[in-house]
Amino acid sequence: MIEVKSLEKIFGKKQALHEVSFQVKKGETFGFLGPSGSGKTTTIKILTGQMRQTAGTANVFGIPATQLNTPEYRKRFGVVTDNSGLYVRLTIYDNLKLYADLYGTSLKRIDEALEAVNLGTEKKTQVAKLSKGMTQRVLLARTLLHQPKLLFLDEPTSALDPANSKHIHNGLKELNRQGTTIFLTTHDMEEADHLCDKVAFLNKGVVQLLDEPKQLKKQYREEIICMELKDGRELEIPLKASSAEEIQQYISREMVERIYTKEPTLGDIFVEVTGRELV
Amino acid sequence: MTFSVKRFMAIFQKDVKDLYRNLYISSTALMPLILAVIYSRLGDIPLSMYMLVITLSLALVGTFLQCAMIAEEKEKNTLRGLMLSPATLTEILAGKSAVTIVITVIVTAVSMFIMDFSFTGRGWLIAGIILTLIFFIVLGTWMGLITRSVMEASIYVLPVMLIFGMGNMFMELVDQFRLLQVLEYTPGIQLEQIAEIADTGGSLSQLGKAFAIIGAWVAATLVLTIVTFKKRMMD
Repeated sequence: MIEVKSLEKIFGKKQALHEVSFQVKKGETFGFLGPSGSGKTTTIKILTGQMRQTAGTANVFGIPATQLNTPEYRKRFGVVTDNSGLYVRLTIYDNLKLYADLYGTSLKRIDEALEAVNLGTEKKTQVAKLSKGMTQRVLLARTLLHQPKLLFLDEPTSALDPANSKHIHNGLKELNRQGTTIFLTTHDMEEADHLCDKVAFLNKGVVQLLDEPKQLKKQYREEIICMELKDGRELEIPLKASSAEEIQQYISREMVERIYTKEPTLGDIFVEVTGRELV
Repeated sequence: MTFSVKRFMAIFQKDVKDLYRNLYISSTALMPLILAVIYSRLGDIPLSMYMLVITLSLALVGTFLQCAMIAEEKEKNTLRGLMLSPATLTEILAGKSAVTIVITVIVTAVSMFIMDFSFTGRGWLIAGIILTLIFFIVLGTWMGLITRSVMEASIYVLPVMLIFGMGNMFMELVDQFRLLQVLEYTPGIQLEQIAEIADTGGSLSQLGKAFAIIGAWVAATLVLTIVTFKKRMMD
């Protein structure tokens, strides 16, 4: 679905992307993770044909992204960026009707898309009266109208509260289950962990790590077992065969409150790999 | 290149709805009407006075409306959304231009109605107005591409209004300021000449020259707009 090889983008003297390579397979949810200014939005702009790369290749649907500017290809993908805009003097319905007409989709899809983002009862509300979170949800609904094969989401839940983020996450999972490939940029590692089949860590325009979240966590986990005892003590025991006897002793004495392994979050791994916080 | 009437209509309808609620932009259309009401109270109105109101309508409404609509799309980040949709640039600009044309034609027609000016038997003038309107709309499109907000657009439109919309008035001062002679080649003055030549039964070659000058303005602004668009939209 997406194939990027040795992608470079230079703005004046600043190198925004350097030797970026990755593949996104059909039906996958791919997370492009990194802090602000790491090159995520630049990558989306290149992949959606809004910007030309300086060097390298970026193919989407098997063709160079620069050739995506035909109505046929544009019907196959959707984009939500953090600075997408709506017509503030119009109602939610009027905004979505414009796009339903542009994509040639049935007006019934407006209600379905609004339901998917939990705004089913708000369609007559003027956009100017919406909160930032609601605006973000309308933008998502607008992108869902034409049921794209490939969805680019740039920080889709950055302005949402946890309840609405969860609602959107469920909607995206359902969309992915129906076959939509999702390219997601975020600096919310929990979101990436929850949604993505594969993630790439982007730092200063360079992909520093690329794998499945599960594999990354396995690779970076600490080989220890944590034990919380009833007397309040917390023990960290090396995860090896010789520790079994020690653990068994605590259990047989009924001293153990709980036992767990210490798994790193994607955020921990990012900091370890890049030496940078996700801000 | 494809052109979808459905997509063109979708943009047209959206812009009409949006403009209807945008008093800041739509109130601009009132200025030529106010001028028409004032002039209509004068006794004997010379042809140049009618032409001033017509040219001002075309310059102010045609250029500003088009420019402000595009500038606002950029200011509110809605143009990117349209550009990423299946709508082509031609459909987007055609939809916006159609709104500008409709409103400009209504304002011009109502202004002339107020001033009791008849277009009957003035085919050449109508053709000249259409060509001049195309120039002002293309100029408005170019200005829309180079401005970033409606506020900026309303400032940029001032010189356009003075040079192209009110050039007829400045022609009175040519004897004192020879530099103003260049205004003779602006579409507004050429439109006035078309009206005079057609009314006095002038030759076709005189008419042809005026049309050619306005046509050259259209071609030049069109090239400028296309070059600017290509430069702005792709890095």
